Amino acid sequence: MIYTSKTKHQLSAALLASLALPMSVWAQEDQALIDQINALEQRVIDLETTTVLSDPETNVKRIEVFVDENGIEHDTQVPGSQKIVTYQRERFYRRQTINEKIEEALADAESRSVQLGVDAAIVLQNVQQGSGADTPADGSTYQLASTDIYFTAGLAQNTLFFADIVSLSGTPQDADDDEVAQTNGYGARLVQQNDLSLREAWLMTEFWDQKLSLTIGRVDLTNYFDSNAAANDETTQFLSDALVNNPALGLSENGAGMALVYDPKGTFALKVGYQQSTDAATNLSDSLYQLVEMDYRANPFHMGEGHYRVWYRKDNTGSSLNAYGISFDQKLTASTTVFTRYGANDVDGDSEEDIHYSAGVQFNNGAGFNPGDAWGIGYAASDLANKDEEQLLESYYNLRIAEKLQLSFHFAYLTEKTAGKETISYVVPGTRLQASF
Amino acid sequence: MKTVKNLLFACHCLALLFSGLAWADSAEKEIKITDPSKVVIIVNRDSNDIAFMDIDTNKIIGSVFLGKNVNPHMAMMSRDGRWVVTGGTRANKAYIIDVATLTLVKEIPVDFAPEHLAFSPDGRYYYQGNPDGDSVSVIDMASLTEIKRIHGFAEPLNITFTPDGTKAYVGNYGAHWVGVIDVTRHELLKKIHVGTVPEIAALDPERYLSEIKGISHVAMSNDGRYLYAADGDLGIVSVIDSREDKVIKVIRVGADPWRAYMSHDGRYAVVANNGDETVSFIDTEKNEVVATLESGPDMMGINFASHKAFVISSSSGFLYVYDMETLKPAGRIKIGLNLQIETATTDTAAHKLYLASSTDHSIYVIDGATEEVVRVPDVGLYPWGTHILDSKDNYCH
Repeated sequence: MIYTSKTKHQLSAALLASLALPMSVWAQEDQALIDQINALEQRVIDLETTTVLSDPETNVKRIEVFVDENGIEHDTQVPGSQKIVTYQRERFYRRQTINEKIEEALADAESRSVQLGVDAAIVLQNVQQGSGADTPADGSTYQLASTDIYFTAGLAQNTLFFADIVSLSGTPQDADDDEVAQTNGYGARLVQQNDLSLREAWLMTEFWDQKLSLTIGRVDLTNYFDSNAAANDETTQFLSDALVNNPALGLSENGAGMALVYDPKGTFALKVGYQQSTDAATNLSDSLYQLVEMDYRANPFHMGEGHYRVWYRKDNTGSSLNAYGISFDQKLTASTTVFTRYGANDVDGDSEEDIHYSAGVQFNNGAGFNPGDAWGIGYAASDLANKDEEQLLESYYNLRIAEKLQLSFHFAYLTEKTAGKETISYVVPGTRLQASF
Repeated sequence: MKTVKNLLFACHCLALLFSGLAWADSAEKEIKITDPSKVVIIVNRDSNDIAFMDIDTNKIIGSVFLGKNVNPHMAMMSRDGRWVVTGGTRANKAYIIDVATLTLVKEIPVDFAPEHLAFSPDGRYYYQGNPDGDSVSVIDMASLTEIKRIHGFAEPLNITFTPDGTKAYVGNYGAHWVGVIDVTRHELLKKIHVGTVPEIAALDPERYLSEIKGISHVAMSNDGRYLYAADGDLGIVSVIDSREDKVIKVIRVGADPWRAYMSHDGRYAVVANNGDETVSFIDTEKNEVVATLESGPDMMGINFASHKAFVISSSSGFLYVYDMETLKPAGRIKIGLNLQIETATTDTAAHKLYLASSTDHSIYVIDGATEEVVRVPDVGLYPWGTHILDSKDNYCH
């Protein structure tokens, strides 16, 4: 073979290239090793600064398997097999820090335990009579301390137990003046004071993709019916009972009963409930208080959400007495909500009805001194079948001191016009200190 | 002459050997994905891989294993569909995957606990947030190396680039400011203060000092002009003008807002308020809340399809549905019992949602119009998130 000069150069270049190639590969390998060492050093630093658990994790999983006639389990369906649901452990690699592990364990323990909550309040009110014949309430100061201790426990799938034990102590206004007493809603639907009472104890379960919930036990039906976003909570909103629930509901105490709520989380919800209306009754049939309510959620003109509720109730205690009512709340802006209620109830032995109505406005969501503060003004009136008239004007400012502590200031003006008597009016300033934890 | 012949023979042998190895290598790297827009990327946290699912057949095409205990958090595809990148939270590394061949091409050491990430609009850089390292790693996609690590953040979570790619906004969950990065120099340019902690916070140390819930994400309006930064502790969404990097309005929303999600038409910024289990709808023209609606616990994401918003309530196993025309609740979809559902992406036509369900290792495909749900089981262990190229709902926790 004759090699020309050109061919020789080509061969030389090829030779050099073939020699250079392995060298560059070695250089790359060296660099890769250096990179790897650097990476390992970095990992050691990381491990030194963050303690990490790398044990494989274990999880129990709900699975579907197929069991044949011989009892052999298959992952997929085989002829003659039957699908069953079982549970099986699986392992995976999730690296977690000790902090994460501790948090997970604590959360797990908490989810299995009975949850305990406390809702405590001290309400101080002074009554000054403005007009009318002197009453014992004039110039008196009342202090009521209320403590709710509630327990919640998950019992089964979508099923929980709730109990609320309440203690009221102090000097309620009841003894001096029943109307003035209504300016403090803490005592509503509680028969005993200065004593420990079971306010609620019920079992709640959900069905049908959790669209339907059933609550049964000793219930407070006002938790489910006649709700209102701006006037339905004596612990954070208005203190007077007329601005907490519609008096036309006529529910004087909690009792054994049931609430069934169908809420597909759309625009409509339907509620049906009953409870024993008085503890004095010897059986439920003779003291059956029944309620039905339809709720509608709206957002007219995109100005904000509104809730519109219509309810009807029947109480067969004594002669059969009916009532009906509405409860609306509508946001006008992100921080302004207006509300109104109207209700009418039959009166035993009278062809006329008691009429109750209320309206007001609530400001929250940044409309106060602090972001969590809320304030409101509400008016409530009752035109009773016996021609008595009651009117109430209340304003409050709820200062959210901390997440668990609130202090509110209330001012109520109350007039009571009794047929044939002079109108009596009261001014009731008050404060409420509320702790929830 | 004989020596030269021997050398030549050896060279030929080496050339044959190398060409053989090269052929074998290329044979291994067969093309598995030809159209990157037709796959759903699934981040499997506990099987430590990124799986690729065919969007038409819902079959897994393949997956790329990243290594034991990597625990990837979020994945994103480059706009050209060439790469998928992810941060391995417990490996302190960024991973680059070649989409066509489904091969892991690079592992890049970064700072502590890399989680959320974003590509620059031109695809040149990939910013990897390292929340435990309080830094953002800048990965050059040409050299596939970390060219810079930007420090000075406080638990940086999500990163949002401006459409022109000159700036990137970083949500700091451990603070109440938004970081602005100058992308040309890869430097933290400024900190935008989103809101003031109320004076009364001093009376509540248990809440304000035990744990901080700042800004997880900065959502951008469709025109790129305004940014919506939700702050968990302050219960606000601050609107930032991106031209001046200045807060122009503070909007009060529900308690503990997680972040804002922009509707596809840009008309509303929808905020998930985990503190009071509500969603706030902010009208982006008026920058006002126009509805605050009841939702579920532990909201992890919001997707938009068929003129509806689908809110993922992680621990309840429900999607809460809202009509985006009437801004009213429109029911909820039960995904399953005792499930932990995570995040979802929406296809580019805004017809279907691809929801990751971690505890049953599944993806649920939800038709936005009919609300029909199809389960795709066994996609990998603990699917944590999904991603589709050019989807308008690509996000992470």
